[in-house]
Amino acid sequence: MRVLLGRAAVLLVALGAWELWARSQNPLLYIPPSKIGPALVRVVRLEAYPALPEHLGLTVVEVGVAYALAIGLGLGLGFLLGLPRHLGEIYEPILSGLYAIPSVVWYPSLMLFFGLGPASKIAFGFLLGFFPVVLAVLVGIRSVDRHLLIVARAFGAGPGTSFVKVILPAMTATVVAGLRAGLALTVVGVIVGEVLGARAGLGYLINYAYGFLRTAEYAALAVLVLVLVMAVDGLAALVEARAQRWAG
Amino acid sequence: MSRPAEPPHIEVRGLTKRWVTRDATIAALEGISLTVAPREFVTVLGPSGCGKSTLLSIIGGLVPPDAGEVRVAGATADGPDPRKVAMVFQDPGLFPWRTALENVEFGLELQGVPAARRREVAKGLLEPVGLRGFETRYPRELSGGMKQRVAIARALALDSPILLMDEPFGALDEQTRLLMGEWLLGIWARTRKTVVFVTHSLQEAIMLSQRIVVMTARPGRIKASLEVTVPWPRDLTGAEATALRARLWELIREESLRALEAGR
Repeated sequence: MRVLLGRAAVLLVALGAWELWARSQNPLLYIPPSKIGPALVRVVRLEAYPALPEHLGLTVVEVGVAYALAIGLGLGLGFLLGLPRHLGEIYEPILSGLYAIPSVVWYPSLMLFFGLGPASKIAFGFLLGFFPVVLAVLVGIRSVDRHLLIVARAFGAGPGTSFVKVILPAMTATVVAGLRAGLALTVVGVIVGEVLGARAGLGYLINYAYGFLRTAEYAALAVLVLVLVMAVDGLAALVEARAQRWAG
Repeated sequence: MSRPAEPPHIEVRGLTKRWVTRDATIAALEGISLTVAPREFVTVLGPSGCGKSTLLSIIGGLVPPDAGEVRVAGATADGPDPRKVAMVFQDPGLFPWRTALENVEFGLELQGVPAARRREVAKGLLEPVGLRGFETRYPRELSGGMKQRVAIARALALDSPILLMDEPFGALDEQTRLLMGEWLLGIWARTRKTVVFVTHSLQEAIMLSQRIVVMTARPGRIKASLEVTVPWPRDLTGAEATALRARLWELIREESLRALEAGR
């Protein structure tokens, strides 16, 4: 409770400072928080952008497709490389290295390959979401307690049974954490992709509002994205907490 | 104790095992021969690193021997066979995502025993080991001694005639260790399993077994095999136990010293 109050206080002070400072600046560029609320109402009521549902829908579809690809290929490649022990040792540093490259550098080439439409956003979202998933699988497999595998073998488990009854449950927590990180990054990738160049989507709308100096609406859209991302991540956190309940 | 005229449960002949590492070949076991009769309780006593755990892993079919023969319940061991052999390790190796009950059920689950039946068996095994009320606890919620009792219940659930135990109480404190020993003897008296129990504790060996096999430092060979004639229930402070302890210490002191030197 005290922590919550403290957080609220920090937030209020920050908002107050922002309000005071923004009022003294050019209102076209600097938006005080008190103007964001009304703008948010206009945006949500579809007064500002009647096509908001379509843009939002497109972004959700792009995120969904990109995330499905990231999960499918991330899990698939992770197990393919991780289960034969030596392959994982070879590929993990390479994948970690690729992951460390600031991902925006890929985007221009993705636009060249996939054009301005949803495909390039899906590709970028996938690219960002894929690495945490594949790396989590590799780390998860590597960190399975070898002793548990020996115990399982002593109790008659063959390779298939060991995989299902030991390796999978042992790595669940790690993989779920990777899936959560991957989801957050996929959302970021899709929206950044839309901001950098698109004809539709939430990111496009943000860029549009910004381009026309509709700064209050721009900020309202940003808040909307923030809420969406937090909701998605909150759901993922719930799933993660469930998965980690037994892991000590 | 008079030996039954049945064929032995475990027969090890001329067993040799080497570990090949990047820069050396280590002879772990050399020319081990050992016979264990049905329902016999044998402890294998030896200094650290003498290969006693390796010996147990080979008998359990987890590790193939380099040379020699291992026959378990009449057949050559070529891989783990939970219908014949159940194993308990120093690290209990409970599955952290399974409750105590689900851990005990593990072996039966692998054998395709129906859920209701294996639940019944597992409950029946946890109760006499003092873990009633802990069925739905996860391993992290259990003490070291409790974990090991769950691991032993998991092994007993297989209902195999042979039980191999690799320093099962090695990580426990002295008092818990003694209590667990008493408890294990009770189980042995009830189930009459053939037990091979690896330990480096003289006390534990004298307290538990009918016969003590003493191993040399690496490469492990069998140095002596002593019948324990101390009457049950065993008084570890009595003259007989004390004499046996002195004799064992004499046998193992030299080997422990060698192991210590080699470990430097």
